[in-house]
Amino acid sequence: MLEIEDLRRWFGGVAAVDGVSFAVAEGSMTALIGPNGAGKTTVFNLISGFLKPQGGRIRFTGRRIDALRADVIARAGLVRTFQTPRVLTRMSVLDNMLLAGRDQPGEGFAMRWIAPRRVARREQAVRCRAAELLALLRLDHLAADYAGTLSGGQRKLLELGRALMTEPRMILLDEPMAGIAPVLAAQLLQHTRMLRAEQGITVFLIEHDMEMVMAVSDRVIVMDEGRVIAAGTPDAVQRNERVIEAYLGRTSAEPAA
Amino acid sequence: MDLFNPGFWLFVAAIAGTYAIMALGLYVQFSLAGLPNFGHVAFMAVAAYAMAILVVRAAAPLSFAVIGGIAAAVVLAFIVGIPTVRLRADYLAIATVAASEVVRYLAMNLTDLTGGPLGSIGLLGPGQVAMYNTSWLRFVDGLAHAASSLTGTNVSRDAVVAPLMWLVAVIAIAALASLERSPWGRVMRAIREDEVAATAAGKNVFAFRMQALVLGGVLGAIAGMLLALQIGVFSPDDYEPTLTFYAYLILILGGSNRIWAIPLGAGLFSLLYSGTRFLNFFPLSLIDSGARAFLRLFLVGFLLVLFMALRPQGILGNRRELLLDK
Repeated sequence: MLEIEDLRRWFGGVAAVDGVSFAVAEGSMTALIGPNGAGKTTVFNLISGFLKPQGGRIRFTGRRIDALRADVIARAGLVRTFQTPRVLTRMSVLDNMLLAGRDQPGEGFAMRWIAPRRVARREQAVRCRAAELLALLRLDHLAADYAGTLSGGQRKLLELGRALMTEPRMILLDEPMAGIAPVLAAQLLQHTRMLRAEQGITVFLIEHDMEMVMAVSDRVIVMDEGRVIAAGTPDAVQRNERVIEAYLGRTSAEPAA
Repeated sequence: MDLFNPGFWLFVAAIAGTYAIMALGLYVQFSLAGLPNFGHVAFMAVAAYAMAILVVRAAAPLSFAVIGGIAAAVVLAFIVGIPTVRLRADYLAIATVAASEVVRYLAMNLTDLTGGPLGSIGLLGPGQVAMYNTSWLRFVDGLAHAASSLTGTNVSRDAVVAPLMWLVAVIAIAALASLERSPWGRVMRAIREDEVAATAAGKNVFAFRMQALVLGGVLGAIAGMLLALQIGVFSPDDYEPTLTFYAYLILILGGSNRIWAIPLGAGLFSLLYSGTRFLNFFPLSLIDSGARAFLRLFLVGFLLVLFMALRPQGILGNRRELLLDK
């Protein structure tokens, strides 16, 4: 589904991503882990087109995407969420969802007048889909509220919903569980699993919650200092000595991890 | 001048109508798409000059010249927009204000093309009086004449122009209000709120922003040409940056992000701006008229500061919306 080859990106003199290669299989749930500053979010930014790579290749469904604009990549079916959820605070929860609907003829200038029927028909379909997803995410009672009034966890759910509105083939989740209430976290986890099971959406996530990573992912990729140091099944990665040294070893001293 | 002279207030109403169209252009750019364009006046100036030059120099019919004026504003929007629309908001503000001053200085110094500091009257060179609004006046007089014979009273030019301007303004506002509620408007609002989120949702932010800049520029161009047609003679001084700020004041007075607040803001601004003209009673009459002119500007500014302090959301705005953080 996603193949990354020798990806490189510097900031100033520092190599944030230093020759990273890995692949994410179609329909899998793959986790990207690593200590702070390992370059995980930079990898996400490079894949989603928000940063341009300075070396290497990214292929999505066999097609090179590393030179494409971020919005083109999103429309191609590779959609991301952000570590700090970016919801449109002064727009309603429903409008946040509707925005992301794909192939909306009404987005063309004055199309509302030029092809009113086609615009109305698509708008109807997009609204149906948004209502379904909001009900699924249990945000339907908040549909008319400003998104700015939502809690952090609800914003993450809304962002997930917005990503789903684009009808993605693969979704990149940047720390979906960080900083949200345990109940919402469980709900989000359940949705993520369902996505994969029902719609066959490939899930690629960055996560710090080790328990969750080990429980849900088929494959784990471990980064440290801009490089991939291990990749494999959760069990194999957990036993890998370099990983224990770089990451698990350090966090195992903390009771919460 | 008499405070209760209806002729004066009709003129004010006509100008207020054109100001509403001008402010609508800025609304599309600033309130809808989040582009802080501080050079809105440049679109007005370029269109007015293009129209006047086409009429006077090329002897073009007015309708053709108006299309030429709009085309000139579109070209300007592309020249200004392509390098700047990608910039962060504060840089965009600087770039646009600079662009508007460049346009004004060009108008001032390209004497052979624009008539220079003399303005439109010097378009045919010194010694000849150039008029660009003859066919407009004929059109307005025709309407006034028809209205006079219809009502049996004497209808003045401004009594025709004022409702005409407001008709154009209201139609344009209604059209944009409809577009604002369409998916197109939804993408624009999303870009204003957070362009990164809009990009992540698969929207081409650059293309939408360019659309807003061009559309706002076209509306500015229409306002600029209508203004020029009404005042009859214009010079580069009529297109100083203050005009852009009047447009901002109209948006702020009426209420940010409320499209139907524009006519209210335009009316209120014109009332304030023209009403302070009559502050010539004692003890203000002790100050000479030149100083009083500055006092007027001061008063308008002071009222606006007061307004911002007491009602930052504008007349029709929603305070709750203003308080939501990003």
